[in-house]
Amino acid sequence: MPSAATLQMEIERSLAARFPAALSPAPQTHREAAATGVAAVDTLLQGGLPVGAVSELIGAMSSGRTSLALAFVASRTAEGRICAWVDAGDTFDPESAAGSGVNLSQLLWVRCQGMQSSPCHTDLPQAGRRRVQRQPWARLDQALRAVDLLLHAGGFAAIVLDLGDTVWEQASRIPAATWWRFRQAAGSTHCSLVVLGRAAYAASSAAIVLECAARQAKTSGGTILSSLEYNVTLKRDRSARIAPCPFPARRATASTWTAQPGWTQQMRRA
Amino acid sequence: MNRELYACVHAAELPAQALLRLRPELRAQPVVILDGPAAQQTVCALNQHARRRGAALGMARLDAESLAEMKLLRRSIQAEKVSRSILLECVSQFSPRIEDALWNTLWDEERQAGQATACAFVLDIQGTERLFGPPEQLAQRLRSCLSAAGFHVSIAVSANFHTARLIAAHRGGIHVIAEGQEAAMLAGLALTALDGDAASDTDLAEILAQWGIRNLGELAALPEAELMTRLGARARTWSALAQGRATYLFRPIQPALRLEEFYAFETPVAQIDSLLFTIARMIDCLAQRAESRALALATVTALMQLEDGSSHQRVIRPALPSLDRRFLLKLVQMEIGAHPPQAAVTSLLLQAEPGQSRQMQLGLFTPQMPEPSRLDVTLARLKSIVGEDRVGSPVLEDTHRADSFHMLSLIAGHAGADQRLQGGSGQAPQAPKLQFHRLCLRRMRPPRPVSVLLHAGRPAVFHDRKQSFKITAAYGPWNSSGCWWSAAAWESGLEPHGSAAWNSAEWDLLATSPDGAPCACLLSHDIQGNIWHLEAFYD
Repeated sequence: MPSAATLQMEIERSLAARFPAALSPAPQTHREAAATGVAAVDTLLQGGLPVGAVSELIGAMSSGRTSLALAFVASRTAEGRICAWVDAGDTFDPESAAGSGVNLSQLLWVRCQGMQSSPCHTDLPQAGRRRVQRQPWARLDQALRAVDLLLHAGGFAAIVLDLGDTVWEQASRIPAATWWRFRQAAGSTHCSLVVLGRAAYAASSAAIVLECAARQAKTSGGTILSSLEYNVTLKRDRSARIAPCPFPARRATASTWTAQPGWTQQMRRA
Repeated sequence: MNRELYACVHAAELPAQALLRLRPELRAQPVVILDGPAAQQTVCALNQHARRRGAALGMARLDAESLAEMKLLRRSIQAEKVSRSILLECVSQFSPRIEDALWNTLWDEERQAGQATACAFVLDIQGTERLFGPPEQLAQRLRSCLSAAGFHVSIAVSANFHTARLIAAHRGGIHVIAEGQEAAMLAGLALTALDGDAASDTDLAEILAQWGIRNLGELAALPEAELMTRLGARARTWSALAQGRATYLFRPIQPALRLEEFYAFETPVAQIDSLLFTIARMIDCLAQRAESRALALATVTALMQLEDGSSHQRVIRPALPSLDRRFLLKLVQMEIGAHPPQAAVTSLLLQAEPGQSRQMQLGLFTPQMPEPSRLDVTLARLKSIVGEDRVGSPVLEDTHRADSFHMLSLIAGHAGADQRLQGGSGQAPQAPKLQFHRLCLRRMRPPRPVSVLLHAGRPAVFHDRKQSFKITAAYGPWNSSGCWWSAAAWESGLEPHGSAAWNSAEWDLLATSPDGAPCACLLSHDIQGNIWHLEAFYD
């Protein structure tokens, strides 16, 4: 009587043309992670945000998602890499980005706008007249198309899709197929796609979901806002990693970090 | 000792060849080129198919139209000039010493107007055997090169300058004339072959015709001494030309590289696709010419003459000089698609600036970068989606005014790295090492006007979009002003947004939204107009 291993080999050999290694478990791969630049978050994520995957930073306004995303972009540009910021709401602040350490010359900023103009491509004499469409979906549509183009162009270390000001009703209607396509493209181009939003939109396509929330504000002498403290909670972690042992130790799922306005540093220097 | 050796390239019917070069579909059809005022147009050039159908030079337009399946095109001097420069550029690949063979034979008016109906260049090919092989092989390669560029030429190789020039002008195909055989080759040419030559003389021609001398062979057979006795020293020059032993001082020209292609449409073109079809051929020719000199195309300028008399110009500048035809065509397509001309196009001039194609040594540990050519196309596509000035890298301006920046095109890849290195101290710029994490803003563009309720001179509640935010802590005011010294700013009324000057007070607020969520925001108060704006949220 043949052994189980022999049977497995025979079955796999017969099905090899259709299903390679049908009965063998898929080998676990170690996914590369890039540090966010915030030590507390890197510790929480065991290294940083995954490379070649979709990560979501969710939370309400003033929850610290933008500061965290900019810290991540700063750490990527500091390595000499090119990043992109697809700004669906046109809310990106270059001054804050520069203050966070982002090398602006290595950042591509795509500013989506509410009006969508599309030239007529067939008839030249009429081509000067552009159809101007005012529609609520224009910004979101532009942002998704821009991300699609950038992901397929390749070479970007990180792409931030900023849906922080997009209303939930619109962003939640982005088809799952779109997120799936983004995930595949990010994986093949080795790009970290970071989505900023009020809620998690990418569903199962997201490898990491971090929920951000404001914790407390600190003042200096009661007259100056000196810092804001944030909570970060790991809501999902599907990034494939090699477990160090069969029964890994329980991980922390929340952490705290602090961001300070630019004048704090000036005051310290003074 | 090397003997002199010349190769003459003669392109007859230049007006026809210039127009048919970029219209390969018409080469198999009878085509005549018309020139002159609209009411008196006559045929100035034609192809072989048209000649077989009965068309001839000088034929009136009505007569030409009466011939079956005859295609009539209007002469384009611009196209001829471009074709001449292309022909010169092609032949310059075979010899650095080139002379315009027809320059001395043209009348001044023709030279000024550029209206010669033929184009001929004589190449000094002495000593080129090791590069291009024997003269027969060189002539074949020369003709192949010119055929690829769209020219049909006749070529003659001889040790005598004038023999090569005359044979190429009056005998089709390739002729390699051995030394000593010049007179035999020239013998069959009619005496009119010397018409237009520097030594031409109508009186002399009439006298020879009266003597019954009709070709160069008969002229060469006349005893030279008696000929000089009867007709003077000028007859000696004719006799030397006919015998193939006239001497000549070669005067080479120095062709400048002009990457240009011109196309005059028969009817105004209103479709972008049709335009691109033509542009594709022109880019192909430009890239081929640049490639032959080990160069690439750094910029491509499309100058379109429109039906309404105006012109429309678009320029594409790839991040790196490129020879990729599809990539360049895509960039042109995106550019014209984003900035279409306002009327149908009647003619198109494509000019390119050559650049050095770069080769980079890549490293194993260099970070991944977007491929420059692919990034160019991606940026062009993004611009067509969101707008021309809404894609790029932000550059902060040297001012304290909030939200002051301008956009520059992203230069990625190793070219961008090079530029960054050149702009700095030779080292890649490193992000400043931060002691803490920076609190960042999310800007409102434009800033949203809000109504603010004050309590003891400090904001207590503000209303934004029908939502009421209760302020729990307010830090400020932080006054700032600028550009008040600008006269233009005063004239514009010192408005904080939209003019050069500003005078405002900023407040950092901690507030609670109607749903109970805390938020931190930045409000500005225009002191002059007493208007409050929600500038940004801390996030």
